Amino acid sequence: MIKNFEQLTSLEIDTLREIGSIGTGNAATALSQMLGKEVRITMPEVRIMGYNEAIEWIGGPEAVTAGVLVKMSGDVGGIMLSVQKLELINFILETMLDQGIQSYEELQELQQSALIEVGNIMISAFVTALSGLAGININLTVPAFAVDMQGAILTVPMAEYGGMSDYLMTIGGNFVCNGQEIPSHLLLSPDLRSLDFLLRKLGVSDG
Amino acid sequence: MAEQKLTVGIADMKMLQGEGILVTYALGSCIGLCFHDQRLRLGALLHIMLPLNMEAGRTHPLKYADTGIKETLKAMEARGASRSRMTVKIAGGAKMFEIAGGSGLGNIGQRNIESVHAILKRENIRLLAEDVGGKVARTLLFDVGSGQGCIRSYGQKDIIF
Repeated sequence: MIKNFEQLTSLEIDTLREIGSIGTGNAATALSQMLGKEVRITMPEVRIMGYNEAIEWIGGPEAVTAGVLVKMSGDVGGIMLSVQKLELINFILETMLDQGIQSYEELQELQQSALIEVGNIMISAFVTALSGLAGININLTVPAFAVDMQGAILTVPMAEYGGMSDYLMTIGGNFVCNGQEIPSHLLLSPDLRSLDFLLRKLGVSDG
Repeated sequence: MAEQKLTVGIADMKMLQGEGILVTYALGSCIGLCFHDQRLRLGALLHIMLPLNMEAGRTHPLKYADTGIKETLKAMEARGASRSRMTVKIAGGAKMFEIAGGSGLGNIGQRNIESVHAILKRENIRLLAEDVGGKVARTLLFDVGSGQGCIRSYGQKDIIF
């Protein structure tokens, strides 16, 4: 049984990276189909970070971003978060609605719905890949949306599992849209018990 | 001399005396607590994440409202602060995401607020002002000389308290 994230072996980390790769690959395909544009992914990352380190990694606490959040339950519990910065938002909005935005204040209900939908489709594609791979069932909540300081958005998964760990694990990757790299964070934060279960299901943990 | 400014991270606490600014960024469901002893011009800013410390052998007391407040009081008292003079202002405890179908997720902020209230009462510390709940993130600045706090939120006017 894994007690904390630091105990993960390199084989386990590799497996999680593979999950990240397949998951974000699926999400990129879904995004590509939805927008009718080419979308690929860069090398996915698995990161285990302290709270303050995680906030620096995402680009500082006060920068404003949009976040689409879905909670997972069933065989694996956790949170999936699509952190959408302005570049990704504009790529989505210009393709879907023919008009981008200069700042987050301009987001109207229609644009928000588009972003939620895209976030939800990417998250669902990721989770479908994950559950297919491990042969498990995962239920998802309806997506929730917020535009605010990204530090506060990122503390949602931290606080949810803060009673179990001092670290946040994220699996995710950037998208390359039409040959241009667009910073994007599609994050999966599983709870520790689920992570253990998942690794055993995939046959890489003997615990 | 340039004014001193210290940043308080998550599950962290810092103390200053005389003058200077303590700041903690992007409080979501977390709560920032500004402890102040006016006579000593001594101030501490604590950033907690969860309501109660229920784990054995953990090394992060400042992550939790109960153990975080205790540690901060201990540090303030070690510098000569007195509980009868001490005041506290708090900010945070927001609900960042509205998840349909409930679940405990969005309620951490509310639980943090309730826990902080209960612990301050139990420790006999006067709660002077608060700006809690809602659904916006807050950056909290605390001037240890005057005891004044300032809350910065996205798309809103600053609140001085």
